[in-house]
Amino acid sequence: MSSHTKAQTPSTTETLPPGPKESREWLWSLIVGLLILGLVATVPVFGDASALHTWTLILMFVVLAQSWNFIGGFTGYSSFGNVAFFGIGAYTTGLMLLGNQPFWLGLIAGAFVAALFAFLLGLPVLRLRGHYFAIATLGTAVALGEFVTVRDVGGGGGGLMSLPLAGLQAYTGFFYAFLGLSLLCLLITVFLTRSRFGYALIAIRESEQAAEALGVPTHWYKVGAFVLSAIPTALAGGLYAYWATGFDPPTVFDVGISVEMVLLTILGGSGTILGPILGAIAFEYASAQLQTSGFTWHNTVLGLAIVIVTIFLPQGILRLIQEFIRRPAAGTTRANRLREGARRVRRFIAANGV
Amino acid sequence: MALGQVFINWLLLGSLYAAVALGFSLVWGIMNIVNLAHGAFIIVGAYTAFWLYSQLHIDPYLGIPLTMAALFVLGWIVQYIAINRVIRAPLLVTFLLTFGLDLLITDLVQQFFSSDLRSINTAYAGNGLDIGSTHIAFDRIFAAGIAVLLTAALNYFLTRTRTGNAILATGMDRDAARLMGISIRNTYALTFAIGAALAGAAGAMLSELYPFNPSSGDAFTLRAFVIVVLGGLGTPWGAVAGGLVFGLAETVVPLIPGVGPGYDNAIAFAVLVIVLIFRPSGLLGKPYYS
Repeated sequence: MSSHTKAQTPSTTETLPPGPKESREWLWSLIVGLLILGLVATVPVFGDASALHTWTLILMFVVLAQSWNFIGGFTGYSSFGNVAFFGIGAYTTGLMLLGNQPFWLGLIAGAFVAALFAFLLGLPVLRLRGHYFAIATLGTAVALGEFVTVRDVGGGGGGLMSLPLAGLQAYTGFFYAFLGLSLLCLLITVFLTRSRFGYALIAIRESEQAAEALGVPTHWYKVGAFVLSAIPTALAGGLYAYWATGFDPPTVFDVGISVEMVLLTILGGSGTILGPILGAIAFEYASAQLQTSGFTWHNTVLGLAIVIVTIFLPQGILRLIQEFIRRPAAGTTRANRLREGARRVRRFIAANGV
Repeated sequence: MALGQVFINWLLLGSLYAAVALGFSLVWGIMNIVNLAHGAFIIVGAYTAFWLYSQLHIDPYLGIPLTMAALFVLGWIVQYIAINRVIRAPLLVTFLLTFGLDLLITDLVQQFFSSDLRSINTAYAGNGLDIGSTHIAFDRIFAAGIAVLLTAALNYFLTRTRTGNAILATGMDRDAARLMGISIRNTYALTFAIGAALAGAAGAMLSELYPFNPSSGDAFTLRAFVIVVLGGLGTPWGAVAGGLVFGLAETVVPLIPGVGPGYDNAIAFAVLVIVLIFRPSGLLGKPYYS
């Protein structure tokens, strides 16, 4: 992670606004976040059924990106296997529903199983670093999907699971459930930026050795963050299960979902309060528009988007905006200001080149 | 199955896996990039061989130099215009970038060749030596021989030529290498291009041995990763060692009663975790190809 801090600090810290002003940033982020979610909440009132469908999925990705942010954004441990929690949530909730249990109980069971799985997996896996951690989590998700397929957990052949229909009125309910979940994640994110627990996670991201030397029990904090990120993901999986009524392992254990969590968070700004929300809404909305227009090059566009984001916006939309609204030094002329703006953008883009 | 047959299958599969992992190991060792598009390069190699075979009637094994040349160019371009720009970014960014490239390349291949399962049926497919009850297919021997040849050639290139030494030096210390007058940009592009060319060779051989479609690539990326972790970074022979160990796991584990087929990825992953816990530097691992 040392190259991470080395590459970022020169461009972000040298001219940050002074301390007292920055300490209000969380409040503004919270207000803007609440405003965005409040606006989204009006979709069932003004939109039609297809808008409701689209925005339910968008909100699901908002939740997934937000919960990935807990582990990937705050501790810097880039898990590529969080989709495993999604799948666990979906299958546990599905099995509970098939066993004639109430839906809420199924959701809780899914969250519990996923949390337990994250705990047991995190104990060994969070000792790995960098590529090894990423690929170990990726492998877990792939292996779990394979297991569910071969053992046919869903009972419909190849792991396929079919659930009873939730009823047409319930679709608005699903929308608000996802909205509530993303609100909860927003509050948790704000809490993380303001609390001892969150500070410990950020310390781990910046320098794990230093955090350890200061007496932070880093391993337990990492496991805690992993479990924290598993719970909303599993709840989203459970909601998705009942919402979609039928699903199979390639859908709910799709590594692509894992990658989208990472992509959306990075696109918005990883480790920030608003980043995952902005990134998920911007990307998933565009993606939904492309898909509904019968466009068959969806994966090409997704791949290109990933390439462009990682090359040109590795620090996310939010940091780019911050870079633009940062005040120039007092007394600069208009021409100098333009030049300064161009310089900032160039530095932002070329920050990581050879 | 006779023990001799299992043994031969293991040796041939293991060497083939070495070819799959060789380019991946080079790119990771020199540039610290886990190239998730490696599987996509293998698939491009397979389709190049398929195209050469079906359009120009060039045998996939004889066409390997052509396939490697095509992939060399592709790899050079990818590194030069994309990966070089994020080389100093956090691991996550390069990881994500290569995943995006994987998605992009796989989808483009699918747009051009459709997602039908393809295979190349040469006249000699299925022919082989029969020693007692043991059958050794000719094409498997070609593939294993080429894999070992490529490993030896890469080893010779890296340790005995000036350009190869420049690559090693860049892998050991980028800044010192720059001070010695090595162009980092071009050296990285060359390294990645060689990695892609080796993936292309593996793809050409796989296209003759197994049926394939555009989405077969991901499995090879995962396998390459496991093999490299098993054998260790640092020397091309690590890929051979890793390939043999992994081939052993994949040949023997399904024979264990109660396990059965269908768990390919799960086996790969389980082997990976066990190795990471007990021997994090791999079997022959050295830091930075030193």
